[in-house]
Formats: sequence, C-alpha cells, structure tokens
Amino acid sequence: MTPSRWERWKNDQRILAALFLLPTLLVLLSVVVYPFGDAVWISFQAKQAGTPGRFIGLRNYVELLSNPVFLQIVGNTIFYTGVAVAIKFTLGLLAALVLAPERRLNGLYRTVLFVPWAVPTVIAALNWRWVYDEFSGMLNNVLLALGLTHNVVAWLAEPRLAMWCVIAVAVWTGTPFYTMSFLAGLQAIPQELYEAARLDGASALQEFRYVTVPGMQAIFLVTVMLSTVFTSTSLVIVNVLTNGAPAERTNILPNFSFNLAMGTGRLGIASAVNMIFFPLLILVILGLSRRLLAARTA
Amino acid sequence: MAMTSSMRGLRRLRALAAYAVLLVLGVWTLGPLYWMVTTSFKTNAEVYGTTATLWPRQPTLANYRVLFTRTPFIVYFQNSTLIALATTAVTVVTSAFGAYALVRLRFPGRRVLARMLVYTYLVPQSLLFIPLFTILVNAGLSNTRTGLVLTYLGFTVPFCTWLLMGYFLSVPVELEEAGLVDGCSRLGVLFRIVMPVTLPALAVTAFFSFTLSWNEYLYASVFVSNVNAKTIPTGIPSFIIEDVFFWGPMMASTVLSVIPPLAVYFVFQRWLLTGLTLGAVKG
Repeated sequence: MTPSRWERWKNDQRILAALFLLPTLLVLLSVVVYPFGDAVWISFQAKQAGTPGRFIGLRNYVELLSNPVFLQIVGNTIFYTGVAVAIKFTLGLLAALVLAPERRLNGLYRTVLFVPWAVPTVIAALNWRWVYDEFSGMLNNVLLALGLTHNVVAWLAEPRLAMWCVIAVAVWTGTPFYTMSFLAGLQAIPQELYEAARLDGASALQEFRYVTVPGMQAIFLVTVMLSTVFTSTSLVIVNVLTNGAPAERTNILPNFSFNLAMGTGRLGIASAVNMIFFPLLILVILGLSRRLLAARTA
Repeated sequence: MAMTSSMRGLRRLRALAAYAVLLVLGVWTLGPLYWMVTTSFKTNAEVYGTTATLWPRQPTLANYRVLFTRTPFIVYFQNSTLIALATTAVTVVTSAFGAYALVRLRFPGRRVLARMLVYTYLVPQSLLFIPLFTILVNAGLSNTRTGLVLTYLGFTVPFCTWLLMGYFLSVPVELEEAGLVDGCSRLGVLFRIVMPVTLPALAVTAFFSFTLSWNEYLYASVFVSNVNAKTIPTGIPSFIIEDVFFWGPMMASTVLSVIPPLAVYFVFQRWLLTGLTLGAVKG
C-alpha cells in the first residue's frame, strides 16, 4: 500500500513547517522587519508627515549633531539609563537575596515586591506625578508632617531634582524584573556548592563572592542588557511625568523623537534621533541574542 | 558553646537585617499605591485641603461617579479589554504553531529563523513607530483597534514564540513519536499531546501578551487620536487638561485600570517564576 499523494504532502515536514510558521513570518515581516528598514531609510530623508520624502543623505544627522540641545539629551539618556540600571540592579539583587531563603510569609513578601511589575507603567507614572505634587502630594505632606522640611518642594520642576525623581519612578517600576530574574537565578545554583563552601569554612561574604556571583554571571549579563535596551528606549515615564521639563533637563532620546514627530511632523529627523544609538544597540542585540541562543542549545 | 551562641547571634542579626530590607522595600513599593487608593476615596476638600489626610475622613465614591458619568473612561476600558484579549488570542495560537515548527520540524532555515525571533524581539518600539504610523495610515488602519492589535503582535509574537520554544523542547520526543505511530497527524500531536502538557507555558504566554498590550503606550498615542479607539494608557493622561488636574477621578481611574493586570498577575503568579526560569531568563 503506497501512501497517497495527499498523505505524503501532509507529512512533508517542510510544507508543514511553512504552514505553521506562516502567521509568525507575516507578523514579523510586516510590523517589525519592513518598518525597521523603512525607519533607517526615512532617517536619510527630508520627510514631512503625510508627504513623500526626499533623500538628503546625512543632513538630518549633521543637523542633530550640531544642535547643543540634542547633545544634552544624548547625555541625559546615558545618565538616566546608567543610573536607573545600576539602582535597579542593586535593589533587585538585595531583594532576591532576602527572598531566596525559606522564611515565614515569604510568598506574601514576594507577591508584594512584584506588584509594581504588574502595574502599567503609565499608571505608575501618573500615580507618582501625584505623589510628587507640589501642594497636595504625598511626598511633601509626609516630609512636612515629619518636620523634615518646612517648605514645599516642586520635585519635578527643580532642575537639580527632576531627573532623580524621574529615575526613582523608573526604579520603582523596573526593579521587580531584576528581582524575579535574580531569584530564578539563585534557585538554579546547586545547593551542594553552598554546602561545600560551608564545609571549607567560607564566610557568608566569601560564599557570595565565590559561589553566588559566578553562578549568576550569565543572568546578570542578560538582565542588564535587556534592561538597558528597554530603559533607554522607553519614553512613557518621561513623557507622562515631565515631558522633558524643566529646560530639557529630563528629556531623553525616545521622547525627543516622539515630540519631533508628533509636534512638528518632521519624520525624517525624528527617525534619525533614534538611529544615533543604533550602532551601540546592534552590538548589544548581537551579544544578547548569542547569549540567549547559546543558553537554549546548551 | 560560646561559638554556637555567637553563631546564633549572627543568624539572628542576619534575619533582622533581612526583615529591615523587606520593610523598607515594602514601604517603598506600597507607598505610592496606598496614596493612589486612598486619594480615589477622598472628597475634593481632603485631596486639596491644607491639612493632608493619610486616610479618607469621609470616604466617598464621588470620584468614581465623575469618572463614569463625565469622562469616556468606560470606552477606554472596553477598548483596552478588547485589544488585550484579541492580541492574546492571536498571539497564543500564532506562537504555539511557530514554536512547535521551530522546535520539532526539520526544514532549511530553522536556525536563522530562531535567531531572527530574538532580533525582532529586541528591536525597540521607539525605532518603529514612525514607519508604522505611515504604514497604518496608508492601510486605513490608523485610529482603529485592529491597527493596534496588529502592531502589538510585533512584540508579543516574537517573545511568546521564544518562550514557548523553551517549553516545547522540554516535552519528551518519545511522547510525540508514540502519538505519530498511533496515527496522529502533526496537528493532532500539537493539540492533543504537546499543548496539554505545556498548559502552564501557554498560560504564561497569555499572561505576557495580555499585560504587554494592556500597558502599551507609545503606539497607542501615535496611531490613535480618536476617543472611540483610545485605550486606558493614552486615555487617562488626557484627563490632565492644560494643567487643570482633577486628581480624585484620575486616581479612581488608575485604581480601576490596575485591577485587571493585577488580577491576572495573582492568578498566574505561581507559574510565572517557573516560566521565567525556563523561558525568559535562561533561554
């Protein structure tokens, strides 16, 4: 009995794979790959929203790089991302180390500390804007009640404070991701390693240095890289809290690009703004994807 | 003896330090949320009064009433729900098929595709919103919920396919081979063998697509300006009109908007951590 053509066709893995992957491919090509290429192309054009673009080579980039405001915003983005990632890393690790051992009510603590992760970032930003409110916000009220200040502080309008306030919100929403990743990483370290270290008379600090840190290295790297990509390219917090005020002190690249595109309709230069970090981003993406793929095949 | 008592002292000290850390992090985490919930139940006099109250003295539902009678909050809520559910449904089906093919079927270009999945997941939205805007306008999909669902698939599908690949890999091949020998088709194997044993993974996938689309802000603010298609993340901030804030109703709206993702989180949380260990973090 020879299988019918239909039978053979039905069991050909290549055809089956093509069918199974068709929806995924359609999605990736139409809303990620093609737009991505288009974004690069648009950045070399003088393009006003709603009109066809005109190729102008590197003029958008030249204009940006000779604009001191733009350079300030590049600096802001680096500062914002660097500080936020560093604080999130520290707090996330601290929380994970505290949550890892068996402890009474641990489930409850975990649930509580993970909550900001489930709160939409926009909601968190709006909520914090109200906490920071000059006259009726919680922060000023608590500080006044405790006698720590005698004057209200305009948290988001004070040039020296504004960026730190924005970073605090990024830390609030972003730390749980670190805690979760690190907790998962800690649980994957074999207990025998700790027992062996203890038998050798290692102190808690030595255990951390020689067992925990090496065991977590891969997770540290992946978490930091992922978080760097998403922190530096997400505009929600800045957009809702300050929209870059005061005097561009808190503006970061994605928000600048958004305002250029939506406010002035200059799509070409707005696209170029996001491309500035692109070479760096490529490096991170390549490194990260190699890590992710290696972990998968190992 | 002295040794053990000093060790016990040390352990107690460590436990104490741990509880101190938990207390500080707990207050830091819950403080803003506490302020949000209590504000939503306060009268205007208490919200803006000279003496702040930590607890509403005269709890009221007035803010919620304003929200439902004088703002389009219900429309935003409906849109967010519809969009999140549609995105989730399409994502789960699409990525289940895709992940299965990438893990179990042999075909040329498999590795390249797996790599492309990671690349596409890492392309930030801030890079894509300008061309996508033009594309949606040309396709007549700007200001529509369909347009948002389609663009949301761009970040849910790569991530969820990647996540599911990890889980599908953990299903023993023997189980599937037995099914194939028994005359199951590949489709039958996927639906009757692989998917039932990876149900927690599918739940995690659903969770991620739901929350990611429920929270999305950038695409929603660029592609939609019409109230009828607006979602919560872009609808609520528009309650701030020219620096006239009405924080009572605003906080009522944020309280209501946090409930769905929090509810989903509480239901799914026991699978989440294992999900992350298997898929997102290690994989």
